[in-house]
Amino acid sequence: MSAATAVAEPAAPAWEELARLAGKESGERAYLARLLEHWRRARGAAGAAFYACRDGACRRELVAGALSTPGGPRFPEAVEGEPPEGFAALRLPEGLVLALTDAAGSGGADAHGAAEPLTLLLAAASRCLALERRLKEQHFQVNYRGVELEALYDVGLAVASTLDLDELSEEVLVRAVSLLDARRGALYLREGDEYRLDGTFGGAAVESFPADLPALESCLEGEGVCPVELLPGARHLLLVPIESDRERRGVLVVADKESRHGIGPFDADDRRTLGLFANQAAIAIENARLHRQALEKERLEREMELAAEIQRQILPDELPEVAGWELFGWNRPARQVGGDYYDLVRLGERGRIGFAIGDVTGKGMPAALLVSTLHSSLTLLRDRGELSPELVARLNRHVCESSLANKFITLVVGELDPASGWLTYINAGHNPGFLLRASGGAVERLDSTGLPLGLMAAGAWQVRGVELAAGDLVCLYTDGITECAAPDDEELGEQRLIALLEAHRAAPLSELVAAIDRATLEHAAGLPQGDDQTLVLVRRAAAES
Amino acid sequence: MTESLKLTVDHADGIAVLYTEGYINNEGGEQIARAAYRLIDGDQRTLLLNLQGTKIVNSIGISILIEIIEKMIEIEGRLAFCCLTPTIEKTFHIMGLAQYAGIYPDQETALRELNAGRSA
Repeated sequence: MSAATAVAEPAAPAWEELARLAGKESGERAYLARLLEHWRRARGAAGAAFYACRDGACRRELVAGALSTPGGPRFPEAVEGEPPEGFAALRLPEGLVLALTDAAGSGGADAHGAAEPLTLLLAAASRCLALERRLKEQHFQVNYRGVELEALYDVGLAVASTLDLDELSEEVLVRAVSLLDARRGALYLREGDEYRLDGTFGGAAVESFPADLPALESCLEGEGVCPVELLPGARHLLLVPIESDRERRGVLVVADKESRHGIGPFDADDRRTLGLFANQAAIAIENARLHRQALEKERLEREMELAAEIQRQILPDELPEVAGWELFGWNRPARQVGGDYYDLVRLGERGRIGFAIGDVTGKGMPAALLVSTLHSSLTLLRDRGELSPELVARLNRHVCESSLANKFITLVVGELDPASGWLTYINAGHNPGFLLRASGGAVERLDSTGLPLGLMAAGAWQVRGVELAAGDLVCLYTDGITECAAPDDEELGEQRLIALLEAHRAAPLSELVAAIDRATLEHAAGLPQGDDQTLVLVRRAAAES
Repeated sequence: MTESLKLTVDHADGIAVLYTEGYINNEGGEQIARAAYRLIDGDQRTLLLNLQGTKIVNSIGISILIEIIEKMIEIEGRLAFCCLTPTIEKTFHIMGLAQYAGIYPDQETALRELNAGRSA
């Protein structure tokens, strides 16, 4: 640029205005804007624009006068490299001024000396603005380190204050995404051999992935390519482990680091920050996880207590006494409440004795409720008529309607006519009962006469009958007896049960049951049993000699 | 959790209120800035940002909010925030936003204070 004409300096009020702006906090831009306007007028330029420059790229910051002239160019928003044609250009420290020349070509920046006072002031103001920007950026970075430290501190506090895992997971995820300037994020927690999605932010993530996913370890170490398929659509992933007691509890993922110009990869500082954050989060998450487990255990225990109470209420408190007959029922619930059921009851005016023994699949509350349904249905149906295939068919329909698809009941239901000694029964898929004749001979089996209840809505069941003579013994049992397991997994089995029955066939039924009880305990040798054990015994009194 | 920003603008007692819902990041911040500059161009000099629906803000979003504050100072206008989560409020204090923009617990208080400032 060449100095061609003298420059008119601003009048005193203008100097005063500039001095006032320079002294005002955050007045740098306004100061530069006024200065640019004075500079433009002094040169008679139609318009002038100031650009702040960094790394060779200049961005338009201020415009004085017209943005463009009729038929002429318009100030571009950004300038990279050489100034565009059609403008007079004035290079400043970390700045650029473009001026619109008039049609005669006068009034441009290049028409005046670079050393005159207004231009020098512009240069100084440009430098000041750049320094102020840099200072602000550094101030921002320092402050943001403060935000990071606060976030770490807050997550540390959460260790003591938050035990709700869902709430904590959301907090951890939101803070991680925010801290890392990420666009998206996901939190995975370890469950067995896989990681399951616990929370996501900013878009979908895969529900689970195997713990030995290829490339996972190298990605967690900050090497190799990360599995971007975890967050479909993401381009740059940063994964850090969540570990406590040297065990991997989960993985924290953030994706696509934001800047003013778009998204990009994360750097080593980001990995360090997220790693520190994950260490803090790990303690909080582990505490919350243990708390959730404790709550779940407590809930299950309460449910078990309730289920056991339901079962206790259903089993008979006392057994009917019938001259010439001995009746006995016994049940030992397993550690987890099971679904065994038995009943011995006098059937109204008919003078008959009703009996039943059953086993519902499953454990806990669902099994207890199905037993309750079975008991009430059977009681109602028995009041309406004697044992028949129709009665069991109706019972089956009721069970089908009341139970879940994977639940069914095996059941022996029957009636005893004490006067005639005639015992009728239907065995719906239950273990065979045993009949031991006082007269000796092979043990007779009361085999299944139809399907278990609840398997299919339709079915057919047969009624069978046996006549019991004096001293004859009928034993009905659930599989908790015959499948009672020893530590080496060997079951007690039918033969051992039959041997016990034969050995104690003449003993009082309470002693017979005590013998079976002892035998199962000895066989189990302290091994906890997973199934209830139930017995129903019916014996016709022996003839007096 | 709402993630991309939803922005609505309303006017109350002559003050423009910008309601945000979602992430104030680069995209969300730019959206707020565009709306704020449009209001400023329309001679609006007092803005209130109601962040009730925002749980998360990142450093890019904060830098854009700072630019809006600087613009408001330049035109001698006023900008205030209300209904911030404790985490965002703490962040705004650390980052210095609270030095130049009022922070109020609820919209009613914010409008009252901003109106008192206008009439003073």
